[in-house]
Formats: sequence, structure tokens, C-alpha cells
Amino acid sequence: MRPGKMRGGIRFSHPLDGLSSPFEDLPTPSVVTVALQQDRSGVCALRVKKNDVVLAGQIIGESPRPNGASIHAPISGVVTELIKAFQDFHGRMVPAVVIESDGAANPCEIPADTDPLAAVQQAGVVCFDHKTDPLAAKLEEARSRKVGTLIVNALDGEPLLSSRARLLLEQAEAIAAGIDALKKILDLGRVILTVDANAAEAIAAATRAFSGAVQILPLRNRYPQAVDYLLVQRALNVEIPYSLGVRITDIGALLVDVEAMAAVGRGQPVVERFISVATGKGHVKNLRVAIGTPIRAVLEHCRITPEPGGKILAGGPMTGTALSGLDQPVTKEFAGVFVQGRSEVVKLEEAVCIKCGRCVEVCPMRLMPFLISGFSEKGRLAEAAQHDLFACIECGCCTYLCPVRIPMVQFIQFAKGQLMAQRKGV
Amino acid sequence: MKEPGFVVAVGPHIHSGNSVRDMMLHQIIALLPAVAAAFLVFGADTLRVAAIAMGSAVFWDAVLQKLFKRSLSIGDLSAAAGGLVLAMLLPATVPWWVVVLGTLVMLLLGKHVYGGLGCNPFNGVLIAYVALLLSYPGLVGDYPVPTSDMMMTQNSPLLELKDKGAEFLDETFPLQDLFLGSTLITGTIGEVSKLALLLGGLFLVLRRKISWIIPAGFLSGLAGFAAVFWLIDPETYASPLFHLLAGGSLLGAFFLATDWTTSPVTKTGMALFGLVCGVMTMAIRLWSQWPEGAYFAVFMVSMLTPFFDKLRPKVFGSKFGSHRQVQF
Repeated sequence: MRPGKMRGGIRFSHPLDGLSSPFEDLPTPSVVTVALQQDRSGVCALRVKKNDVVLAGQIIGESPRPNGASIHAPISGVVTELIKAFQDFHGRMVPAVVIESDGAANPCEIPADTDPLAAVQQAGVVCFDHKTDPLAAKLEEARSRKVGTLIVNALDGEPLLSSRARLLLEQAEAIAAGIDALKKILDLGRVILTVDANAAEAIAAATRAFSGAVQILPLRNRYPQAVDYLLVQRALNVEIPYSLGVRITDIGALLVDVEAMAAVGRGQPVVERFISVATGKGHVKNLRVAIGTPIRAVLEHCRITPEPGGKILAGGPMTGTALSGLDQPVTKEFAGVFVQGRSEVVKLEEAVCIKCGRCVEVCPMRLMPFLISGFSEKGRLAEAAQHDLFACIECGCCTYLCPVRIPMVQFIQFAKGQLMAQRKGV
Repeated sequence: MKEPGFVVAVGPHIHSGNSVRDMMLHQIIALLPAVAAAFLVFGADTLRVAAIAMGSAVFWDAVLQKLFKRSLSIGDLSAAAGGLVLAMLLPATVPWWVVVLGTLVMLLLGKHVYGGLGCNPFNGVLIAYVALLLSYPGLVGDYPVPTSDMMMTQNSPLLELKDKGAEFLDETFPLQDLFLGSTLITGTIGEVSKLALLLGGLFLVLRRKISWIIPAGFLSGLAGFAAVFWLIDPETYASPLFHLLAGGSLLGAFFLATDWTTSPVTKTGMALFGLVCGVMTMAIRLWSQWPEGAYFAVFMVSMLTPFFDKLRPKVFGSKFGSHRQVQF
């Protein structure tokens, strides 16, 4: 099968600057704050008490879902505080556990689980993409639907982020072991690795580690092709609609990123994330960070001094979530940290559309962003929905190119939120 | 301890830097080769008309923005670019007051009465062109003899075709001269050198300021329609190549039909819009009393833009169903 052609999207000029930067270990932080909701598993049930001594890798929160991802203590130490309502970077109020380090890294003994699916669940692996679904739940679904194709993604989600490509370069063996583990769970006929065509060293490492069992598919950088449904279209040439209830497993495929695969391959609890830290000036560093580490410590390690009036983003420059403070801890949802200085902050404002058509040209979902956003701006929400509002993936390409800088993504999010609230209110 | 405030906003957090000013600046730069070619043929009068057009356009824009209580935005260069395009449609001998009147019409009826930049249903340049041509056909529709002291007028290639037929066209207007521009051939300021227009147009396409689809549709529609008649009777009808290189075909295709606001936004819409513009240009050249049809054609076909905009691409994944019935 030929790879699918990508329509729309943006080719950024320096997408993989961070590929040459090896992962640095952030020193074990003295205090970590672990939110008890880190993915789509929902709020995990607390499994520790105040003043408990915990070991690194010990379960501190158990998922309410049967195949949800548990949350582990990232460091060994003492539980000093249980916060009932901690505001995470999405603005949700969730319980959180504060652990003070004992200085030593005492790992928890993990009983080797014979069932590979249970092992994935126990390790708390999630898909480290923008949705962060628990991997075990996805695998269970894939098994029940007899999925035969696995797509392993090493493409980074956004410009300036490079942690996936670097991880493939450094931990190809672990990723290969992860794929082998998945082969025990699923009856896989075909494994495809999508990787940036510019990441030659990573491709070479993958070729050595995978020994022909995996089909390597190099793709030229084009944002936002790493978004799940677009990537499936690239790899398998099938377009699955966004938000119509059709799932990737419906066409017999499963999409997993390399970081999740490496976590499965290592067989250890997920207590860290591999992230890229980038600044608006284009400096990129790759870090291995314990979950719960405050952003402040991450930035201090990278010698980045945030400017008042600037932006701190969880994620990349296109779809990252802006943080209000530096005390936010790293969670399983962090793909990176992007720091902007005051002068680099983009000001978008209400402006009159000149109908240049760039947003239509660039939209990977083939929508009319200016129309949808215009309807939303005028409060004509039904018409916005009529123009396929819910097919929008909010990648931001339209707004990135808009000559009059209309905050189209914001208007689209507004319309979606209003319509969903209306639906719930009825 | 209070944290220094950080900006919290929805993405994207970076911007391409694309702006109206940038687009307009590109359009001005793209027209410079054509201005230079016209300068070589018509002399300093070219610069006079271009300068008056750009200067008065900016002046009127500022006055009208004040009058309509809009914020002053002459810095976006849209008026300057519009003035330069209008100058391209005028003969080098046109009196200064005609130009100033033209830019007033352009900015009043082509921009401000509709609510400012982006709200106009028609290209202001073409509104001004049509108004001037109907009001002062002698001053705007007659072209000077390039080599003389410009008191005489001469037939443009398309008028010659209209008056005398296609028989001696090749001898009077060698294609090479039509393409490069020469003192043997007259026309408006922008019609002198097709090579210059092509360079400017390619610059805009390569810099992604205009879509290649509209010019491609325009020129193929024009050439295709011309070819049909030429193949039937080459004695009576001029060749497609002549029609591509004579008059304002390239100027219309690259600089008028591609007007951002009044052209369609979808690829299918753009392609059809371009094609219909090209065919319409030929229809006017063949069957109307006007020798040149490119500018009228763009003006008329832009009335159909709302229709062309309905030709939308299929949404990603729509094979599985419509997003309009989303159960959210």
C-alpha cells in the first residue's frame, strides 16, 4: 500500500534541531507533586496515607478503570502532604500527593507479571500523545477487535519538539522489546514505524534494532501529520473522520508512540517523561524528567529564566497549553516545555477577514476555518456546526498563517464549548 | 511570593509573520519589472502616473479612514499597492486629475463604503478602471505612440485585431516584441512587457502570496477558447499565443484575478473562477465592441465568487459520514 498523501499543513524550516541533543537526566528533585489524574483513566484512588514511606515505582494511585493506568511514586521518600484540590495545568481540580525525597533512589521490587497485558497496566503506561489514553485499555480494545496492524510513531507532534526522534535514536532496543511484547498480546501481521525523514541517525538506529520485522516509513516533516488520524492516513492511506465515533481500531490498526513502546520494553513503572525543552529563540534540549518535578526545576536546569509577560507552555508552540505559574508539575501529558520571551508572544486580535484563503489552503481537515470562526464570532453556532466545526482538530495552521491574525482556534474552541454546554444543559 | 505574570492564551503561540503589509509589499515588488519595462518604452510619464496613483491612493485612504471613523491603516500598503495596479491599467499620457479621481473611486466605492479592507465584493481597482473608461474613454482608452512626443495615438494590438482582422497581425506585432515589450507596440503601462509580468507573477506564486491555480485557470481558459476559433479559421482569428501575449491577459491573470478578497478561496473554486475569467476575456474580445476584455472579465466573474466558494472540498474522512450530525 502506498503511503497517503498529506494535503494542507505546514512544513517548518527547522523541525528537528533537537535531534542532536542527548537526553540529560534532571537531578532527582527534592519534592515532587503528583496529580492523581494524569491521563484519560480518570481520577485515581489514593493508595497512600500522610507520612507513609514510599519507594520509587510504588503505586500511589490506582485507576478506577479496569485497564486504566495506575500512578506510581516517581521517587522514594515520605508523603508529606495530600492535597485535596490541586489545580492542574488544564485547570481541573484533582487530588495530588506531595512526596519529599529521601535522597536515595530506592526502587520498589516489582513482581514480574506473567500476563503481558497486565504488565502494561501495572506499569501505568499511557499513549504519550495529545490524548493520553491508557495503553492497556487500548490494547484490550485492539485485541477484541482483532487488530493486525501496529503503527509505531516516532514523529514529534510539533515543531521544535524532538524527544520522540531522539528516543528512537537512543532506545531503539527498548522500543523493539516493546513491540515484541505487543506481539504477545496482539496477532500483529504488520508493524509500521513512522519517522521523520530528516532523522537519518534515528532511522539507522531503528534499522539496526528492528532487523527487518518492522517496516520503516520515513515521512517528510509536515505539521500536523503526527496527529493520530492524519498519521493513520499517511501510513495506511485511509481517512478516518475526526469525532464521528469511528475509531482507528475499526480499520484494524493501532497507533502507539515510541515513548509508550520504550516504556513497555523497559517493563518498569512509568515514573518519568522524555521531553524537549525549547525556547522561542530555537534552543532545544532533551531531558529525562521525573513525573511531579516542578517546571521551575526543569527551567533552572536548562538555565532558562522566564520573563514576566512571556509564556510558559506545556507542549509545543502550536497547540501547547499556557501555564499560569512555574509550580506546575510535569505529568504524563507533557510532551515538552516551550518558553517564550515577552517580545515573542504573538498577539492575536479580532480583525476583519480579507478572504485571502490561506486558512482553507492549509487546513489538513479541508475545512473553511475563516467561515467557522466567523460564525462563532457572530454567535451563529448552528451555522458553525453546519460548516463541520466538529471536524476541526485545532492544529492552529490557519491561525499561524492568517495575515490579519484572527484567533480562529480560539473562536472554534469557543463554539465547540458553547454547543457542548447547550447539549448537556438540555 | 507572587510569581511574575505569564500570558495565558490559546494556541498557536507562534505566527508565520504573514501580514497584509507583507502581501501588499510583495505585490508592489512584483510589479516593479513591469514599471521598469514601461519606463523604457514610455519614459518618465510612466513614473509620473505610478507616483500620482500611489500617492493619491494613500492620501484618499487616509482621508476616507478619518471620514468613516476607522483606525488609520495606510501602513498596510493596501492603498499603495492598489494605486500601482490601477496605474498599470492606464495609458502613460493620462492627465493627473484622472488618476486622482480614479484612486478616489477605487478607495471609496471599492473599499470604504463596504466597510473597509476585506469587505468589498469587487476589486476596487477594477471599479475605478470601469468608471474611468466609461467616463473618459478618450483619455483612458487611447494609447500614445511610444516613440513620438506622445501627442499622437496608435492602435493597440487588440484594437488592430478588432479593426483589421488577424491577417497581418504577425507582421505588425511580432510575438517576440509582444513578449519582451518594444517601442513598436502600445498599450497601457502594465501591458508593455509580458516577460516582466511573468517574472512578477512567478515571484508572487513562489513566495506563496497568490495561488498558482487562478492564473493557470485564467490562461488556459483564454488560450483554450482562442484555440478553438483559431483552429477553425486561422485567417480570421488570432492565435492563442497572440491572445496570451496581447493586451492585459497576463496582467489580469496574475494581478487582478488573484485579488485576495474578491477571488474564491477553495481550489476547485479558484480553478473554475480562473477558467471562466479566461473564457469571458475571449468572449469580450471576440464579440463585444471593446477590444480588450481581460479587465471587464475579471470584474464580471468576481460577481460569481460567492457561488465558486460553495465548491468546497470534501472534509477529511467524510466517506464515513457527515460531521454535521456529530453526536457531541
